[in-house]
Order: sequence, then C-alpha cells, then structure tokens
Amino acid sequence: MGLKASRIRVPGLAGHDDPAAAALCTRAAAGDQGAWDEVVERYAPMVWSICTRFRLSDRDLEDVAQNVWLLLVDQLGKLPEPAALAAWLAATTRRECLRVATASRGLEPLEPDARVTGEEVIMAERNAALRAALAELPASCQPLMDMLVSDPPYSYAQISTALGIPVECIGPRRARCLERIRESSALLGLADIGGNRPGGDPGA
Amino acid sequence: MLEDWDDEQLLAALGEAIKARAAVPSWFVQTGKNAYAWHNIDAELAQLTYDSRTDADAMAVARSETASILALTFTSAHLSIELEVADGSLLGQVVPPQAGTLETHTKAGITTSSADEAGFFTVRPIPPGPFLLRFGTTDGAYVMTGWITL
Repeated sequence: MGLKASRIRVPGLAGHDDPAAAALCTRAAAGDQGAWDEVVERYAPMVWSICTRFRLSDRDLEDVAQNVWLLLVDQLGKLPEPAALAAWLAATTRRECLRVATASRGLEPLEPDARVTGEEVIMAERNAALRAALAELPASCQPLMDMLVSDPPYSYAQISTALGIPVECIGPRRARCLERIRESSALLGLADIGGNRPGGDPGA
Repeated sequence: MLEDWDDEQLLAALGEAIKARAAVPSWFVQTGKNAYAWHNIDAELAQLTYDSRTDADAMAVARSETASILALTFTSAHLSIELEVADGSLLGQVVPPQAGTLETHTKAGITTSSADEAGFFTVRPIPPGPFLLRFGTTDGAYVMTGWITL
C-alpha cells in the first residue's frame, strides 16, 4: 500500500530541494510552534486537495488530518529528506486516505493516479512559495494585489474607487508589484522547479 | 520558471495559490496545528499494522458471517497493542503481556486506567469521537497509538 518516493516524483522535481521546508522542519523539531504552524499553513492546501479526491466524510477527513500531522510530528528531526517534505506529506496523505476510505466503505476505493499526486507536489510547493511572496509584499502593494487576484476579478474602475488610485496609475503600479513578487526571496527556491504555466499557454 | 511568465500568467498563478488556500476549511488547518501538542510527549508512536476493516482476509470472513469482529493492532519496536470491539467496550491487550498504565486521550480530555499482569485492559464506553491510547510500561517507557475512530 505504501507509495514509494520515486513514484510520486516526476521528472524535473527529482532532486529538488525546498530549503524553506527544511528550515521550518528544523525549527519545529527544536520546539518552535510558530514554525510548525507555518508548515501546516503551507501544506494543508495540498493535504486537503489530495483528500478531496477520495470523497471522504468529515469524520474520515478529521481522521486523516489528525493522523497525517501526528505522523509528521513524530518524524520531525528524523525525516531523511526534510527538503522533500511536500512529497513525504503527499505520500502519507494518500496512504491515510486509502486506509480510512477502505475502513469506512469496505470497498476498494477509487485509486487516484499517482502521477496526479506528483503534480500536486509541484503545485503545492509553487503555491506555498507564491503565497509567501504575497505575504512579504509591502503595504503599498498588498491591497492592490489582493484585488487583482480575487475571483471574480475587480475592474480597474472598482479598484480605483476602493483604493483611491487613478485608473491610469493601476497598470504601472501592478507591474511594479509583480516585479517585487518576482524578486521575492520566497520564490528563490522555485527557480529550478519545472512545471506548467498557469492558465494554459495561449500560444499552444 | 518565473522568468518565462508574463504578468498575466504570474497573476493567474497567484490567483490559483490564493484559491487553493481559501478552499481549506479552518478546522482542517487547526487540526494540523493542534498536532504539535504531541511534539513533547514522551512516547514511541506505534504503527497501525492490522485493521480488520481494511484487511482483505478479514473482510472476506466478515462478508460470510453475520457477526464480524472489529480488531486493530498497533506495533512499536518494543510492544504491540491489540484492540477488539465487543459489546460496546474496547478490549485490549499489550503484547508481550505486562502490567502498565493506560491513558485514553480524547478531545474532552484524558482518562487513566491500567493494564493487568496479563496485559489486558478495557476502555468503556468506547469514545464516540477520535481517541488515542498511550501505554506506560513499569520501566517508564511509553508507546502510543495513532488516532482511532471507531
């Protein structure tokens, strides 16, 4: 039932290290609850997203969440590759989901394709880094970026009214804020990760 | 990677990242944060090595019989904790047989009982929600199970 690490790696991710994950693990292992909370904040979206594929009840979701994070607490300071934390968490989550799905339904649950989980790991690391980069933005960028990435999107007219910025200034300010995101230290570890472009390639 | 993205692609990626985080219920995140309470607990975490609900042979027997026994085994390097549900109680045995203390941890708190010389213990009633058992040997070593939901 265990998922071999090699199966959840995909070309381009193999050998990739996430220094942020390793640093957080080290601090959490040393007793830093704040670092642990950050680990959970970073990777809970990935754990959740994997869980949703198994159509679990809330009771089973709680069972998975409790055991996945308990297993990680137990492994803090012992993980062979703390930089590959996302891959470890993905494999552990998948295994726990299969366990509770089988225990509850007594059936062979639908087993999601392992390749999807590999993509999940890349996306999770990318998303965590992007959220960290957003959080690092200065106050002059934060409200503008919040409105620009919201779903459904706000129009420039709405943004202008809400933030008191002339419409013609939004474009240049947007460009400056995105530049800050690109230069953010939170994204440094991402430079060598492969992965698909978001929103598809318009030229394809 | 990022150098290849234009502003629209970067914005779309940021939007996806925010959406993925917003989709997670807050209780799910809190459950993860709460797990850190176990960081300083002195106990070896035993692995679930048998669950009659997921064991193919046990499931085949259960299908052919009217009454099926729910049984779980947690194994650590030093001992195993075997559990069985019977008549609304949880019967357990520590293997190899030995006396010790037994804590039942639930969201509501901790209940303490003990295992006899033969390693037998009973948890009654069965906790309605998730619970976890922590066994203390007479040598002062501790072994705990993962979270159990019955």
